[in-house]
Amino acid sequence: MDYLQLAKEMAHRGPAAGVEAEAFINVGIECEIRVSQGSVQQLSQAGSKGLGLRVIDGGRVGYAYTSDFDDLDATWTAALELAQAADADTYRGLPEPQSVPEDDLEIYDPTVESTPVDAKVALTKAMEQAALDYDQRIAAADRCVYSDKVEHIFLVNSRGFAGEFGRSVVVGYLRAVGRDTEGQTMGWGFGASPFLSEIDPSAIGAEAGRKAVEILGGKPVDTQQATVVFDPVGAAELVGWLAQALTAEAMQRSRSFLLDRMGQVVASDKVCLLDNGRLKRGIASAPFDGEGVPTAVTRLIDEGILQAVLHDTYTARKEDARSTGNARRESHRSLPKLGPSNFCLQPGPDAPEDIVSQVETGFYVTNIMNVGGINPVSGDFSVGASGLWIENGVLTRPVSGVTVSSTLPEILQNVVAVGSDLRFVPFVGAFGAPTVRVDGMVVAGR
Amino acid sequence: MVSEETAKKVIQAGLGNGGELAELYVEDRATLRLMLDDQKLEDATRGGDRGAGVRVFYGDTAAYAYTDDLSEESLLQAARAAAAAAKASGSGQVLDFSQQEHPLDLGYQKPFDSMPIAQKAEMLHDLDATIRGYDSRIAQATVVMRHLNRRVWLWNSEGIHAEDERNIIELMLVAIAKQGELVQPVRDGIGGQMGLELFDDQDPFALATGVAESAVKMLDSRPAPAGEMPVVITNGWGGVLFHEACGHALEADFVTKGTSAYAGLLGQQVASPLVTAVDDGTIAGRRGTIRFDDDGTPSSKTVLIEEGVLKEYMWDLAEARRGNQLSTGNGRRETFRHLPMPRMTNTYIDAGHHDPEEIVRSVKKGVFVKRLGGGGADIAKGDFVFSVTEGYLIEDGKLTAPIRGATLIGNGPMVLKELDMVGSDLALDRGRGTCGKGQSARVSVGQPTIRIPRLTVGGTDQPAGNRTGQ
Repeated sequence: MDYLQLAKEMAHRGPAAGVEAEAFINVGIECEIRVSQGSVQQLSQAGSKGLGLRVIDGGRVGYAYTSDFDDLDATWTAALELAQAADADTYRGLPEPQSVPEDDLEIYDPTVESTPVDAKVALTKAMEQAALDYDQRIAAADRCVYSDKVEHIFLVNSRGFAGEFGRSVVVGYLRAVGRDTEGQTMGWGFGASPFLSEIDPSAIGAEAGRKAVEILGGKPVDTQQATVVFDPVGAAELVGWLAQALTAEAMQRSRSFLLDRMGQVVASDKVCLLDNGRLKRGIASAPFDGEGVPTAVTRLIDEGILQAVLHDTYTARKEDARSTGNARRESHRSLPKLGPSNFCLQPGPDAPEDIVSQVETGFYVTNIMNVGGINPVSGDFSVGASGLWIENGVLTRPVSGVTVSSTLPEILQNVVAVGSDLRFVPFVGAFGAPTVRVDGMVVAGR
Repeated sequence: MVSEETAKKVIQAGLGNGGELAELYVEDRATLRLMLDDQKLEDATRGGDRGAGVRVFYGDTAAYAYTDDLSEESLLQAARAAAAAAKASGSGQVLDFSQQEHPLDLGYQKPFDSMPIAQKAEMLHDLDATIRGYDSRIAQATVVMRHLNRRVWLWNSEGIHAEDERNIIELMLVAIAKQGELVQPVRDGIGGQMGLELFDDQDPFALATGVAESAVKMLDSRPAPAGEMPVVITNGWGGVLFHEACGHALEADFVTKGTSAYAGLLGQQVASPLVTAVDDGTIAGRRGTIRFDDDGTPSSKTVLIEEGVLKEYMWDLAEARRGNQLSTGNGRRETFRHLPMPRMTNTYIDAGHHDPEEIVRSVKKGVFVKRLGGGGADIAKGDFVFSVTEGYLIEDGKLTAPIRGATLIGNGPMVLKELDMVGSDLALDRGRGTCGKGQSARVSVGQPTIRIPRLTVGGTDQPAGNRTGQ
């Protein structure tokens, strides 16, 4: 089926009906494999497709979606009807077509589809084996999962934009369970890339194994104020929440702890935050965003100064700015939503070992349990954490069962060192960070 | 949607390569979402999603293929894809199907579409006005109304044929209060397995006033204390702590792998004798209620812990096959794109005999938790973390200052042993819970007021004697 043509037919119904219209189609195939104790527990394969239709009638937005391409009239009617129920907002509208740069973002790997399932099963088993081989105290690998997805996106709007691209995402992860006489621990290992060849099962298994074993026997420390060093995975979690506070929508709707701080110093000069929708081999990269605006590089905080926020077409019109190409689309089932792409804390000059060795007493955090304790609106920050205690610059005993607390404004100001070891974490977006040292946090334990 | 004849052919094809059990799962979903934010109804989305999945069991493996095309040809193709992975020598065969019966009636009275969209839009505006009208310090409000109708059909080669309709309605409200630099958001929701009669049972305007009141109260909050202290958790939604910290560890997939802190402890005293905990998928109208689970097993009431003794785990079909057990009807899947796994339904700690007011009076210095935010737990160790969205200090048996930025951290199995007061005021939550375990599932939680004699509160305000560094 010619999906681009189908999207055009839907979008071009707009002018005749006196509305703006945009059709988004994604067609994909996916595969997921779960392995346990050396055998395949689940193997799931499928192809799927869907169409989402946005109509804008005098600033009122209606949205309807379907996976049934034989009944698109009903989808069209539903979207029109829903627009009648919505409230008019003069800033709502589709973007003018812009030309999309043609550089290769390296986000599509044809071998993901052509590689036989048996090879993917072997990779998944190798991941589990690598975790078990890491240390004899690894008792099991829980949730050892391989998943891939190849999708083709088609986007057309009634103002004349028409675009398409293909992308692939491969993710491998597992949770290793460590066990000794004192009890059990868990550690995650993961890898993600558009390219199958970049998924290294040995590294993923070993990472999970290391993270589980190193906190075996962990105990709470006394409640105290302390220096905290976050490893890149822990720091990425923090960075992900900062992204929520750095959208124009959060600013326009009083949902950011950085409200009214544009142009001001909001962080230590070690802090540079960047959103890059055009990162080569980035899992959130795309030539254009969810409404057809070319993606871009946006520098949000530069040496501690708040410079910019993320925009989509709506928020940009509201303050006479330009969209930064950050209208994100999770699937055809929902409206494009303003959000980060490949979003990261820029790496600094320091080797991660040197950051640890310069801490007299502190907490090296390798795992964060965040469950709503990071609040980009109020700026509150309190998470569960485990890791290793630092004494005289050396990692010593394991620590668990404690919380690490501060506020987001204080954390930003108290970033003392930023490592050179930037790493992206694929869960819920693509957030990246290197090792980060933050002083003056409260560690609550006994 | 799919005829029995077609189902039979598909299952036959699923067994074609020596599978032991084959199953066809068909689902038709319809959703409507209306979201009002910043005083405007700006997201009105309607959608449909239908498809089917074929699952073939051989040994410990389940092979699965799904499609969003319900033609017989496409279903047979999915069946052959699932069968191809099997390469086994099982002896499954197609029996005649017998319709599963369950006395539970999931009928709803007022269909969601019986209220015109324009009237729903008006209700959202009225709720927004109620939140904003509560106090001039309310800076922002969000109101979301959602409806999901799921019809499911299931046939398997053991002769099971089950059909179910799940009609879910939910309303979620957020109020943000602001004073100077201090901003406090509070969210809450109501929902259930029912129609628009939800709004007769639970007043949405009282909920709107409630979130606004909490958000404004939190403007007078002080930073939460840090350290170990007694914690009292209020009834209802507070049960999410048991759900996360213990409930997941009682799901069979963690048990058969031996990774759960509760593996191998059946019949043993794992909690205080004050604790009886139950998972019950049959409570009419509740968010986690199902007539049949997504393996076609009738839902049931399962006593997990009785007076502190571990009685049973929660099983789905795949884990029951693995563990040679009977399924407890806890196999749930998010959509036809997913494979079932053991999940909770409506899970609660049963009522005790303490007067809830007496529980608060018993604490000299501690924390009272009125609203918990999200929570999570590490299954292997049982460690949990929760954020507190509305909490108060308890001083000399009385609630005093509101506190902000608090988290609770502890160990689930240990807390269940140490828990020393259980109130008589059992309540289930009002229907806002969605559990994420790789797939999302709507659940209900509940408990009476409970006292945990010592728990680590992770705030920023340390006791003076403990200060070190700067």
